[in-house]
Amino acid sequence: MAKIIVVTSGKGGVGKTTSAAAIATGLALRGNKTVVIDFDVGLRNLDLIMGCERRVVYDLVNVIQGEAGLNQALIRDKRVDNLHILPASQTRDKDALTAEGVEKILDTLDKDFDYILCDSPAGIERGAQLAMYYADEAVVVTNPEVSSVRDSDRILGLLASKTRRAERGEDPIKEHLLITRYNPARVTEGDMLNLEDIREILAIDLIGLIPESEAVLRASNQGVPVTHDDSSDAGQAYMDTVSRLLGEDVPLRFHEIQKKSLLSRVFGGGRR
Amino acid sequence: MSLNVDRAGMAFTFKGGMLPMTVMELASADPEQIREQLSGKLSQSPAFFQHTPVVLSVEKLDEPHLALERICAVCRTHKLLPVAVRGGSDPVKQSAWALGLGWFPPSDGTRSRVLEEVPPTEPARGAEPEATIPTASGGRIYRGTVRSGQQISAPEGDLVVVGAVNAGAEVLAAGSIHVYGALRGRALAGIHGDIQAGIFCRELRAELLSVAGTYKRMEDIDPHLLGSSVQVTLSDAQLGITALD
Repeated sequence: MAKIIVVTSGKGGVGKTTSAAAIATGLALRGNKTVVIDFDVGLRNLDLIMGCERRVVYDLVNVIQGEAGLNQALIRDKRVDNLHILPASQTRDKDALTAEGVEKILDTLDKDFDYILCDSPAGIERGAQLAMYYADEAVVVTNPEVSSVRDSDRILGLLASKTRRAERGEDPIKEHLLITRYNPARVTEGDMLNLEDIREILAIDLIGLIPESEAVLRASNQGVPVTHDDSSDAGQAYMDTVSRLLGEDVPLRFHEIQKKSLLSRVFGGGRR
Repeated sequence: MSLNVDRAGMAFTFKGGMLPMTVMELASADPEQIREQLSGKLSQSPAFFQHTPVVLSVEKLDEPHLALERICAVCRTHKLLPVAVRGGSDPVKQSAWALGLGWFPPSDGTRSRVLEEVPPTEPARGAEPEATIPTASGGRIYRGTVRSGQQISAPEGDLVVVGAVNAGAEVLAAGSIHVYGALRGRALAGIHGDIQAGIFCRELRAELLSVAGTYKRMEDIDPHLLGSSVQVTLSDAQLGITALD
């Protein structure tokens, strides 16, 4: 039985794909058979972040339309054994996705995997709704910024009403808040919303906090999920997030300006 | 600001209001049978029969024609004052009017106890909100956060939200709105014109507040009140916001 986790946000550009790739990688590194599906049909990005763009032959839409088998479309990650990627189509649009098609794919993957991550497109339209529809858990990616918080709030409303669990009256989707691009110094200066304000407005459990980090941009451009960069703050923060998803109790890090930072700045060493 | 027209020097003003009202639900159209039962009741609880206004509900009766005049007479001799009829066929409506009684459309039929206001048929005037009849039963309690894009309403009574109402969310009620949390979205109380309705919240951050059509936007709200626990009520066609603590 696989656990289906949707990575969603409403707003674009907050780090959904980066987070989906990083969390999927982390889950696989921890020994779980994991597949990550790109639902952003027409704006395929996950393959780039995962560094497998040159190996894409078939995609999600091909499988749904019966033009390829699921095993032909799944791409095995080069770095981690347990990890597979199901890319989106770049040439189709989101109408090519059907609920039945998605359900069939998820049912098949269910037998072979421990975790299925659905990387949702931005927005609240068909693609986003299909990505969340069959989910058991949701990671809601939010930046410390008012519009992102409001869009996440909207998505949480949809998770509670427009999903299979909601429609069948089953246990609700487990909702997790993942705050990305958090910069404690800018929070202190009042440029960014602080952690507590975001938690208060969204009123769901915090699963992780990813600091604003150069490592993320570098990782995206190199096509290596930031989880592999275990010396970086963002890489460690994603690993913490994965541990919490696996049910472990891990203390929160990177949410305060490091007390040592002044000293380390003076002596020029260490990275936050 | 106000949608209500309310000026000094006028002979009267129309006000929406809610009054407790006894509904006498008839299970029989036979005046004699009614008389018998009323006599029994009168001896049991004489205090109740003090020219008490009642609404005769004939919804449960399946008869196109009623001896309405005789039923009313029976009521009056037992010190009950029929003021209106609810439900029934078109001839029943006509005869109610002929007897100087008001007429209400049938209720949704699920409630056994109703509170109703009984205005005579009022002419609508200008941009005034229509003087519809607010029923005060059928309130609603919502537990959890009302999220952006969600709309929660209590079309017949008070709405209680145990949680926050977030920005971009909307809560509506025929009666009052109580938010046990932060109110960041829009709250519209008294949507059928009940000017007695109010909005109560633990933390005022609202985008819009409205009671019976009179509204205030966030930028009209005294900034000192933002973030505090307040009540919002209508007095003299003005929306007043006062701190609760």
